[in-house]
Amino acid sequence: MIAVAGVTKAYQDGAVRRQVLRGVDLVVARGETAAVVGPSGSGKSTLLNILGALDVPDAGSVRVDGVDLTRSRPSALAGFRNRSLGFVFQFHQLLPDFTAIENVMMPGRIAGRPTSSLSAQALTLLDQVGLADRAGAFPQQLSGGERQRIAICRALVLEPAVLLADEPTGNLDSRSGEQVLELLDTLRRRRDTTMVLVTHNPEVAKRCGKVLRLDGGRLKALGE
Amino acid sequence: MGFVWHIAVRYFRSTRADAHIRALSTLTAGGLAVGTAALVLALAALAGFQNLLLEDLARHTPALQIELGGGSVPGSALQGAATTDPVRGLAALAAATNGVAGVQELLYARGWLADGDRPIAVEVLGYEKTPPPWIPVQGEATPGLIVPVSVALRMGLAVGDMVRVVSPRPGLTPVGHQPRTRMLPIDLIYMSDRAEDTDDPVLVPLEQASALFARGDRRLDLTLAPEADPEQVGDFLRQGIDPTVATVTTWRQANRALLFVLRLEKGLVFSAVALIVAVASFALLAALSMVLSSKRAEVGVLAAMGAPPARLQRVFLLLGALLSVGGAGFGGAAGAGLAAFLDRYRVISTPSDVYVVDYVPFLVRGTDVLVVLVVTVLFTAAAAVIGARKASLLHPVEAMRSART
Ligand SMILES: Nc1ncnc2c1ncn2[C@@H]1O[C@H](COP(=O)(O)OP(=O)(O)O)[C@@H](O)[C@H]1O
Ligand SMILES: [Mg+2]
Repeated sequence: MIAVAGVTKAYQDGAVRRQVLRGVDLVVARGETAAVVGPSGSGKSTLLNILGALDVPDAGSVRVDGVDLTRSRPSALAGFRNRSLGFVFQFHQLLPDFTAIENVMMPGRIAGRPTSSLSAQALTLLDQVGLADRAGAFPQQLSGGERQRIAICRALVLEPAVLLADEPTGNLDSRSGEQVLELLDTLRRRRDTTMVLVTHNPEVAKRCGKVLRLDGGRLKALGE
Repeated sequence: MGFVWHIAVRYFRSTRADAHIRALSTLTAGGLAVGTAALVLALAALAGFQNLLLEDLARHTPALQIELGGGSVPGSALQGAATTDPVRGLAALAAATNGVAGVQELLYARGWLADGDRPIAVEVLGYEKTPPPWIPVQGEATPGLIVPVSVALRMGLAVGDMVRVVSPRPGLTPVGHQPRTRMLPIDLIYMSDRAEDTDDPVLVPLEQASALFARGDRRLDLTLAPEADPEQVGDFLRQGIDPTVATVTTWRQANRALLFVLRLEKGLVFSAVALIVAVASFALLAALSMVLSSKRAEVGVLAAMGAPPARLQRVFLLLGALLSVGGAGFGGAAGAGLAAFLDRYRVISTPSDVYVVDYVPFLVRGTDVLVVLVVTVLFTAAAAVIGARKASLLHPVEAMRSART
């Protein structure tokens, strides 16, 4: 589960100090899916980075899957990200030197998993998003939607306890978007995965257990 | 290492894709190839030359020398007590020492050769058994003189002529002090293989020489068994010999200055040629930095997915190794192969009258090749460590952001 209390974050942009988060509180129960909506530049990605132990808040506490992220050493956080978190970045961020299936396997390779079982698992995931036949393709040979689906498979390959997704269906047509949401739902049900999705899509938000709006540096619940 | 190899090998392949990185990695591999080849070749040429020189030196210098103290002390001691000649004692001690194969007693003195009334000053070398190995004469000791061709020419002497050997030490005769002299036949005339023949000695059988030149410098030349170490035998002998009576010198000590110059020469040539490797290592650093900056976002993603900084650093260390090992390995092998070829087929010739041989010899030594490889590895490793460090300092969010803008 995720428990965030009183998180603030400011960026120094030259002479200007931009207070992006002004005291964010958030609780997402285990197996629950929360959608975060809000205008562009409101700090959604910043919040997600803090939840993902990629950035540190100026103040406040962050507990994710039982780990206090503000009190852990960087090396411990690297292991935590690999083991417990799945990321879908706002821009797909696939590695161009690796094929689709190699990209999907990458978190497992970092974890030191045997490649045989890993590739079987990756292929299953690719099949679930309709990309099994594109497994050997390199990212530049794929469309934007295909890349995003592969990025999602990559986030899911180690079946993480917590999935953080920054606009996972942003570049997808409705059919592919539907496939992705199916996949996320399957995972949530099977592994009791806690999810935080940043989205602009009301359809996506509607399917989530909890919808929160980030505006003016604070998070407000829109509905359960 | 699965992950590290996986990434590094793929990044290595991707260095072909970007024109700038390709140029730098080619410069790295090419520079290392040229550098190591040049180093191996230069060391082989030096080793070949120095080897000849040392072989020549070994012919002229005994492995070990025992010299009676240069002053008057042993001389007077010798004269007084004919019963206990310290040279005999030392010779016996040396002969009984482990590793000593042979002992030859020698006596050096200055004297004159006189034919009629024109004496000329000569170096006299008293010897026993056989003429010392550096005198180019075959065979046993002869009862008469062995004269260098320079002396024979000056005095118009031929084999069989009788000539008078004159010592500066006077003998007491009924008509007062007279120089000690002895008439001896010339048995052989030899031609020195040294460039400067002014000091070529006249060889006199030791018995005659000691009688004539009791104040000459007496010396023992030791030949050693092939497996014996001159330094060890020398140390052992020194323990048994009073240093005021005699000093023990190994051929290395006797030729310290020359050996130092040879080492210096080797070091200077090595340092100069190693600059090529240094430049290639800078190219490696540049190539690694360019790969890293072109892969910033991706390395950020890997870090975000939990790859520890130390492992990302190792990816770039390994990439550095992959970029250098081919060039360095090829260069080392090519240098050694070329050196062996040049030596085997005597490709480079020299005028035969200036040197012992008429071609440039090359000698590839395992230790030399090893030193070249170690130096190359040190240079490239330093470059790779500096280049790879940046990978471990990358902040994932910053890295991913920077790639978008
Ligand atoms: N590293 C940074 N340095 C300076 N400003 C930043 C940095 N990261 C984000 N910001 C700023 O913080 C604000 C929130 O950014 P972000 O979290 O990406 O918003 P969103 O994802 O909601 O569009 C933006 O104005 C952005 O420019
Ligand atoms: Mg964003």
